Amino acid sequence: MKLTVGAICGPAGSKANRTGAWRTFRPILKSDFCTGCGLCATFCPDSCVFPEGEVFCIDYTYCKGCGICAEECPSEAIEMVVEEK
Amino acid sequence: MTEIRIHGRGGQGSVVTAEILAMAAFEDGKFSQAFPYLGGGGDRRGAPVQAFLRISDEPIRLRSKIHDPDYVLVQDPTLIKEVEVSKGLKPGGLLIINSEKDPHNLGLAPGIRALAVPATRIALEEIGRPIMNTALMGAFSAITGEVSLLAVLRAIRNKFPGEMGEKNALAAQHMYEYLRGMKGA
Repeated sequence: MKLTVGAICGPAGSKANRTGAWRTFRPILKSDFCTGCGLCATFCPDSCVFPEGEVFCIDYTYCKGCGICAEECPSEAIEMVVEEK
Repeated sequence: MTEIRIHGRGGQGSVVTAEILAMAAFEDGKFSQAFPYLGGGGDRRGAPVQAFLRISDEPIRLRSKIHDPDYVLVQDPTLIKEVEVSKGLKPGGLLIINSEKDPHNLGLAPGIRALAVPATRIALEEIGRPIMNTALMGAFSAITGEVSLLAVLRAIRNKFPGEMGEKNALAAQHMYEYLRGMKGA
């Protein structure tokens, strides 16, 4: 059977499914406001927010733009911006 | 008989778009039919899905998937890379896509008649969430005239009674007026 895009078979199969195209809103990290608490990374359901040395990075290849990181950030350092498509 | 194929992602409301447009055509006194095809990968959120819609002045006996549509609605421009959205589109057929960009710069197959409508922007304005299928219904009504706007609004309010239905009806109406205004200009 031919599987369509989005189906996942086998371990790490979801890597091929680049879910970044789903976004309507793009999270923008404002590093001036970031205190480095890491709540965004904890709550991101796709593990798209991750620490890179002192700062946090967002992986836009897989980020679906759900906005949970922005919702959880206590210092409002993440802004959700409409993405032009 | 007019055949329409709708491309979307799981959760964007492709199935509901087909359903509501079928209800609207019925309100207009036509025969209609709508059904989804969720693909070989299962109905997973975000996976590309299709929905089919037939509108006719006579009873519809055909029950198959639509391979040669008169119209194609595309809810998400990023689908163009994953699915051949214009497949089988009849000569003279039209593809309506939800995008702010020029449809001919989106990577569609050459020679396809395409029109882009800013459905997501209008949905964000009217509903406050990027659920743009009702705005797309307004666009379908304005561009093709296959269903009347009144019937679309009535079908939306029937499907979603209360505040949600009102907001969605506003989104459809907003899109309709936006496109008809452009035509006059």
